[in-house]
Amino acid sequence: MASSSIIDQLKKNQILDMLKDEKRIDGRAFDEVRELSIDVGVIPKAEGSARARLGDTEVVAGVKIQPERPFPDTGDQGMLICTAEILPIAHPDVETGPPSPPVVELARVTDRGIRESKMIDMKQLVLEKNKSVVGIFCDNAVTDHDGNLFDACSYATTAALNSCKIPKYEMKDEVPTKVENEFDDPPITTLPVSVTMAKIDDYIIVDPNLDEWSIMDARITITTNSDGNIVALQKGGADGFTHDDLIKCGEISAKVGLKIREIIKESSSGGN
Amino acid sequence: MSNEKKRHVIPGEVIVSGQYRAEQNTVLDGDKVLATVIGLSDVHDGSVRVIPLTGGYYPKDDDLVVGKIVSHSAMSWEVNINSCYAGMLPATDVFGRDFSSHSDDLSAKLSNGDLIVARIVNADKTRDPLLTISGRELGKIDSGELVEFSPSKVPRLIGKRGSMIQMIEGATGAQIIIGQNGMLVVSCDDPNGLLKAIKAIELVEEKAHVANLTDQVNEMLELKSE
Amino acid sequence: MGGRDTDIVLLDENGIRSDGRKVNETRKVSIKAGVLKNANGSAYIEFGENKILVGVYGPRDVHPKHMSDTDTGILRCRYHMSPFSVGERKNPAPSRREVEISKVIKEALEPALMLKQFPRTAVDVFMEILQADGGTRCAALTGASVALADAGIPMRDLVAGCAAGKAADAIILDVNNEEDQAGQADLPIGYMPNLEKITLLQLDGILTPDEYKQCIELGIDGCKQVYEIQKKALQEKYFTNGGTD
Repeated sequence: MASSSIIDQLKKNQILDMLKDEKRIDGRAFDEVRELSIDVGVIPKAEGSARARLGDTEVVAGVKIQPERPFPDTGDQGMLICTAEILPIAHPDVETGPPSPPVVELARVTDRGIRESKMIDMKQLVLEKNKSVVGIFCDNAVTDHDGNLFDACSYATTAALNSCKIPKYEMKDEVPTKVENEFDDPPITTLPVSVTMAKIDDYIIVDPNLDEWSIMDARITITTNSDGNIVALQKGGADGFTHDDLIKCGEISAKVGLKIREIIKESSSGGN
Repeated sequence: MSNEKKRHVIPGEVIVSGQYRAEQNTVLDGDKVLATVIGLSDVHDGSVRVIPLTGGYYPKDDDLVVGKIVSHSAMSWEVNINSCYAGMLPATDVFGRDFSSHSDDLSAKLSNGDLIVARIVNADKTRDPLLTISGRELGKIDSGELVEFSPSKVPRLIGKRGSMIQMIEGATGAQIIIGQNGMLVVSCDDPNGLLKAIKAIELVEEKAHVANLTDQVNEMLELKSE
Repeated sequence: MGGRDTDIVLLDENGIRSDGRKVNETRKVSIKAGVLKNANGSAYIEFGENKILVGVYGPRDVHPKHMSDTDTGILRCRYHMSPFSVGERKNPAPSRREVEISKVIKEALEPALMLKQFPRTAVDVFMEILQADGGTRCAALTGASVALADAGIPMRDLVAGCAAGKAADAIILDVNNEEDQAGQADLPIGYMPNLEKITLLQLDGILTPDEYKQCIELGIDGCKQVYEIQKKALQEKYFTNGGTD
């Protein structure tokens, strides 16, 4: 365990004492998210992109679109793969090399949130059934880590996909060929938004920063779509949630998710 | 040999040419003295140095530092002193010479995350610097807020003969422990005083290179009083 | 070198290149120092359409311990392209090309760094290519120097990078992606402007001995122009009176 990530005792006590007074170390309310700003189109050469800043956490998501062979059992659907990586510039404790379990979890939770919500209507992305489909990749790169990478990646991905442009392809001699300068808007059905909550003692706080993240007992990430339905869940951390906690978290995620969705819509609809 | 006016320099820039002694943060290239870090050049009595505006903390003997306990072995604690070298606090410093690793439990006295005020005893680079907490005003820190600060700007925070730090403490009622390693502990009975002191420290951090910093801090401290 | 692309005019009859530049003009370069919160030093550089983020940590403890040197600090560099940085999505795992470029950049920076005063430590330089358009190694090297200075790592000089090359039979400065694909030679250079030493040099393509001399001269001139931008970035962060970062 690298020494820079051991939180000092004074700060830990300060966080715990303040929670008893319903306060957080950075002055936020329990259900308040840090300042969120999203810029799309930051990587112009990619088919879509977004940079999300959630407090001091920063993620860059890039969308690449190219023709692919479909998966064997879904020849009538396009392909969508989301990934996430914590770059070594993001925090002193990040090691290079194959992804560690927390990073694998981050990538898979990000992917599930988008996939299970059916954000993109994959049936509209077929070029030739069972032979050629549109493949969409959204890769997240965390550039600065101040806690809650799950939500930062979720927002960057949703904004990048919502604002991307899908090239037009025509089949020439069985080979999908790009038609220059012709693009379609992506077939978006819903905007999934994740909300991560940490449990410290008996308190539930939304969007933990790195200090809160390092002392939390457990966490839960709940992803809702535009209808307010829950499309993905992930609990993490060494401790557990009570039944009441979980109901409360579900309600918070819908309420907070609504606000975040508006921010994402506003930042990414210009591209649509 | 003239005393030159202080200049902003970046690495590789020539400060002076001629018969000068190249001191901290400079290097000789033929008869030219070059800066090796971003900072302010200082030419004085035939020697040249650069006062850095950025960079980490490198332990020196007798420095007062604020450190965080991060692990321990049977015989010592490892202390994060905000440097590329971890500090080493021997168990004998706390338990005395009769220390026995069988009966004396290190984590009972100091555990991971605890903060200490310590002095560097031996900063030879072939091994980790030795620390001591036996001494007046040294030991475990039980209260206050830890504030991170640029080690290179600590002299500015202290000021000439302590003038800057005394001004801040006087105007806010706070007590500020300054570690040479850029780790500060600020305590104050009055939460407003605590906030004001921290804001003043942040101002020094931001404007360390500005000529009228003292006036700006003065102004900020007076404006903030209700 | 790539095949000929007859659709792109690399150099027209007025001596203007495909992106509107003259033969001895660099693309637009802008650098911002100190852009990341956690890294000890950082820089963001745009070199034409290249967009590169560099973070520096160190000097710091070396893990695994056997990699450390008891006499000096060591330098480690990682040049990495984001999957979305190039035309066809790139697998995130490091390629052999990235491994080689990481090494070449490391050896371009080492002559400038003074690490003997930090035995048993490492300085880590991480260069992330967010968008690539030819000449990424020179741009990454340029950004890395600024990030190292921002971190306060002692250096004898900055290192500036710029490539020279040959396209449509003309010697050109700062080869972009199209010119790299369809041109005749690409010669990336890394240069320490005050010590006047070249610390990075590679060649892709064919040059006569005379063309080689011309490329080096033109490339060094390009590096000097890039150096002015590096200086400006550091001055903007550290020396502006009363300015905020």
